[in-house]
Amino acid sequence: MLRFLARRLLGALVITVLISAITFFLFFALPAEPALMSCGKNCTPDAVALINKNLGLDQPVPVQYWHYMAGIVAGRDFTVGHCPAPCFGYSFSNQQPVWGTIVDRFPTTLSIALGGAAVFLVVGTGLGLLAAAFRGTWIDKLFSSLSLVGNALQIYFVGVVALAVLVSGLHWMDNPAYHPITEDPVKWFTGMLIPWLVLSIIFIANYSRMTRSLMIEQLAEDHVRTARAKGMGRRTVFFRYAFRGALAPVVTLFGIDLGSLFGGAIITEFTFSLHGLGRLAVSSVSETDLPTLMGVMLVGCTAIVVANIVVDATYALIDPRVRLA
Amino acid sequence: MTTTPTSPRRATPRTRRSAYAYASALAATALVLSACSSGGGGGGGGKEEGVGEDKTGAANYSVGTKDDSTGPAPEVPGAKKGGTVSVLQRDAFNHLDPGQIYYVDMLTAQLLYNRSLTNYKVDDKGRVKVVGDLATDAGTSSDGGKTWTYTLKDGLKFEDGSPITSQDVRWGIERLYASFETDGPLYIPQWLSGDGNDFRKALPDGPYNGQHLPASVLDTPDDKTIVFHFRRPHADTPFATAMPNIGPVKADKDTKQKYDNAPFSSGPYKVGDYKVGKSLTLVRNEHWDPRTDPIRHQYADRFEVSFGHQFADSTRRFLADQGDDKAALSFSNAVAPEMTEKVLADAGTKNRRFLEIQPYVDYIAFNTDRLKDVRVRRALAYAMPNGQILQQNGGATAGVVATNLLSPAMDGYRPTDPFGKKAKPAGDTDKARELLKEAGKLGQEVVYAYPNTDTQQKVAVVVTQALERAGFKVQKKEVDANTYRTAIAEVKNQFDLYRCSWGADWPVSSTVVPPLFDSRQIADGSQNYSHLNDPKVDAEIDRISAVTDVKQAAPEWQKLADRILTEDVPAVPTFYNRQFSLWGSRLGGVKYHPVYGSADPTAVFVK
Repeated sequence: MLRFLARRLLGALVITVLISAITFFLFFALPAEPALMSCGKNCTPDAVALINKNLGLDQPVPVQYWHYMAGIVAGRDFTVGHCPAPCFGYSFSNQQPVWGTIVDRFPTTLSIALGGAAVFLVVGTGLGLLAAAFRGTWIDKLFSSLSLVGNALQIYFVGVVALAVLVSGLHWMDNPAYHPITEDPVKWFTGMLIPWLVLSIIFIANYSRMTRSLMIEQLAEDHVRTARAKGMGRRTVFFRYAFRGALAPVVTLFGIDLGSLFGGAIITEFTFSLHGLGRLAVSSVSETDLPTLMGVMLVGCTAIVVANIVVDATYALIDPRVRLA
Repeated sequence: MTTTPTSPRRATPRTRRSAYAYASALAATALVLSACSSGGGGGGGGKEEGVGEDKTGAANYSVGTKDDSTGPAPEVPGAKKGGTVSVLQRDAFNHLDPGQIYYVDMLTAQLLYNRSLTNYKVDDKGRVKVVGDLATDAGTSSDGGKTWTYTLKDGLKFEDGSPITSQDVRWGIERLYASFETDGPLYIPQWLSGDGNDFRKALPDGPYNGQHLPASVLDTPDDKTIVFHFRRPHADTPFATAMPNIGPVKADKDTKQKYDNAPFSSGPYKVGDYKVGKSLTLVRNEHWDPRTDPIRHQYADRFEVSFGHQFADSTRRFLADQGDDKAALSFSNAVAPEMTEKVLADAGTKNRRFLEIQPYVDYIAFNTDRLKDVRVRRALAYAMPNGQILQQNGGATAGVVATNLLSPAMDGYRPTDPFGKKAKPAGDTDKARELLKEAGKLGQEVVYAYPNTDTQQKVAVVVTQALERAGFKVQKKEVDANTYRTAIAEVKNQFDLYRCSWGADWPVSSTVVPPLFDSRQIADGSQNYSHLNDPKVDAEIDRISAVTDVKQAAPEWQKLADRILTEDVPAVPTFYNRQFSLWGSRLGGVKYHPVYGSADPTAVFVK
C-alpha cells in the first residue's frame, strides 16, 4: 500500500509541475503587454517599466518560471516588499501576496465543496440504491423521473427560486453567507445550507442514476447470484456484495467532481454572493491579475490531483486488485 | 478620464439592465418632459409623473460661505447613535487610496474615512453647496483666479490623534506625482505643473526622495495655510479641491502602493478590516471631531461593506427587508431592472427609495476624421433612436432620453433639443434621409463600433435598424469590452461612430466640454473621441475657462455645448443616466448624492 501511495504521489508531483509550467508559459509568455493592462488609466512608460520590473517580465520566460517556482518554496522579494513562502506571486491589482488572498478564499470553497459533496454523495447514492432495490416499482419510477428533472435544472435557477422561497418568502433560512466554522459552527452550517442543497441537486441526479444502473448490473452478476444461492441474507448480498462492486465507479466519479469543486464552484458562488476560489478566478481574469489567476489555477489543479490520489487510495481499499496494478 | 466603455464616475455598467424593457417609448417621452422641467425649475420637490422623481436639477448648486463650512453638520431629525449598517455592493472596490479613487462606489465610500480641502454639502432638498471640509471655506482666489489660498480648521486630527497640518495635505498632493498614482483625477497636479502626464516631470518620484514642489507652485507658509499657484486661472478650483485626492496623507503612514489597502483616516470612520475583493469594515474613528465637519455624522457604530451582490440579490434583500438586511443599503447598486415594477408597486418602499438623474450622459461619438461631411453627421444625429437605445439600457428607471450634450444635473443646464428628440425619441428618419440625399450620400456605409456586452449588442440592433431606415448602410464592428476604450481612443481608429459615456467630475461643464471637444486634447487615449478640431471651439473654451465666476461660466458652457452639437455635430447624446436606489426599513438619513450620483452614507443611522 505504501509503495502504491508513494508511486501515485510522485506521479502527482510530476503532473503538478508540468501543469504549472504549461499554465505559466501560457499566461506570461502569450499576452503582449500584461504590464500595460494592469497599469491604470493615466499610465506612463515609467509605470509600465516599473511593473515589468516588479513582475520580472523583463527577463526570459524560463528564468521567470524558475523564480516563480523557487518563490513557492523559499519566498521572494519584490520592490514593493517581501513575499513570504509559499509565495505564489504578488498581485499588483490587490497590492498583496497572492497566497494571502487564496488562504482567505479557500475555506469558503472547501466548505461549499465538502458540504455539497457530502449531500450529493449520500443522497444521490441513497436514492440510487432505493431505486435499484425497488426496481420497476413506483419508487423506482418516481426517483428516476425526479433525477431527470434534477439533471435538467441549473444552479442559477434553483438558487434564485430557493432564495425567493426559503429566505425572502417563508423566512425559514438565513441569507447564504460564509462564517468560519472555527468561530461559529451553527452559523457556518445555516449559512451554507442553501448552497449545499442547491449545488447538490444537479449532482444528485447523476449519482442516483449511476448507482441505480450499476447496482442492477451488479445484482445480476454471478458472484451475487452465488451468494444468494448460498443462502445469504438479502441485505448482506445487497450491501456487501453488490454495493461494494458498484461503489468503485461511483468513487471515481466522486473524486473528479470533488476535485473540480475544490477549484471553485463559480455559478454557486455568484448565485449566493459567496467569495470562493471560483469568483477569485473570474475577477482576476477580468482585471488581468495574472499572478492571482496563476495561483488559483495551481491550487485548483493541485486539488484535483490530490483528490485523485485519495480516490486511488480508496479504490485500492475497496478493490484489492488495484494495488497490484 | 474614462475607462472601458463607461465613464469613470459610473459604477453601474448597463449590462445588468439589459433584460429590462417594459416601459414604452411614450413613457420615456413623458419622462424627458418631467426631467427637463426640473432642470430649469430650481429643484426641490419630487415629481409625480410616471416614475420620475428627480429632485436633482441645474439650479441646485452654489458655493457655500464660511458659515456653511463650519461644523457640526445639522442634526438629522430622529437620528440616533449605534448599530451596524450593511452595505451591499456588486463590484469590489479597486482602490481605497484616496489618490487612486475615481469611481462612484469608491467616491461614495471614501466620504466616510477621508476628508478633502473642500466638499459637497447636500441638504434634504437635494441642494448642493461646495463648502470647506478641512478648510475654513471653499477657498479664496487672487491673481485673477491663478492663486488659491486655503486655511485649515482647528482641531483636525488623523485616526491616531495626531494633528492634520498643511504639510500633510501637501504630502497628499505631491504623492499624486509618483508614477504609481495613475487612476485618480489629476486636475490639481496638472493645473499646477503641466498637462497630460507632463506634470509628473516636476516631481518624478513624488515626495518620497525628500523632493518637494517649489513654494512658487505649492506653498505651505505655516501649518494652517496652503497656497496653490496655478499656471492659468481656474474658477472652479473649489470643485477640484473636493476630489478625494486633495486631502491629507500622513507621511510616515504612507505605504505607497500598499496604502490602497490601509488608508489612514481623517474622517468619522476608519478601516477596521479589509479583505480585498470581499469585504470592508469601517469602524468609528474616535479622533474625528464633529465640530470640524460640516457634512458628516457618526451615527452608526460601523459600516460593513460586502462585495459580490448582483443587483438582483441586493434588490431581493431590500425588498424582503428581513433581519440584518433591514439595516442594509447600497452606495451604487441600482434596483434590478426585472424588479423595478415590483418595487414601484410596493407602497412599503415609498419612503426608502429614490430615483434621481445622474451627471452621466451616454452618447455616440462620430469620427470627424472619417465622416467629414457635417450633413452626414447631422443625418446620423437625427436618425439615432434615443428612446429605443434607452429601452435596451433598462428604460425609464435607468435614464431619460437625452436632448443635448449636458446632463440635467449640471449647473447651467437648459433643456435645448436641436434634433427634436423629445418629439421623436425613435429618431427622425425622414429628416435624416433628406439630409443624406442632399449630401448625395444615400447608401453611405458607416462602421459602428460597440463593446461586446449584452446591452450594447442589443443597442447595436436598434441603432443599425434606425440608421438603415434613414438610408445608411451599417457595418457593425463588435469589440472586446476589455479593450474597447483603448480601441476607440486611438486617433487612427477605423470606425465611424462608437458608443461613449461621460460623467462630469463636478456640476460645472468645464469638466465636460474641454476634455471631449478641445482639439488640443486629440491624442491616442484622450477623450476627444470625435477628434473635433474647430479653432472657434478651442477659442471659446479658453474664453469661458477664464471666467472667474463659475455661476457666470455655467450658462456659457451650455451655450457652447449646444453650438458644438448643432454646428459641428461631433456626437449625438442618447440618454441621461438615472440612479434607482432602494434600502432597508431600519435605516434613516439615506439621501441622494447629486454630484456622485449615489446613496450618500454621511448622515445614515440605524433606527
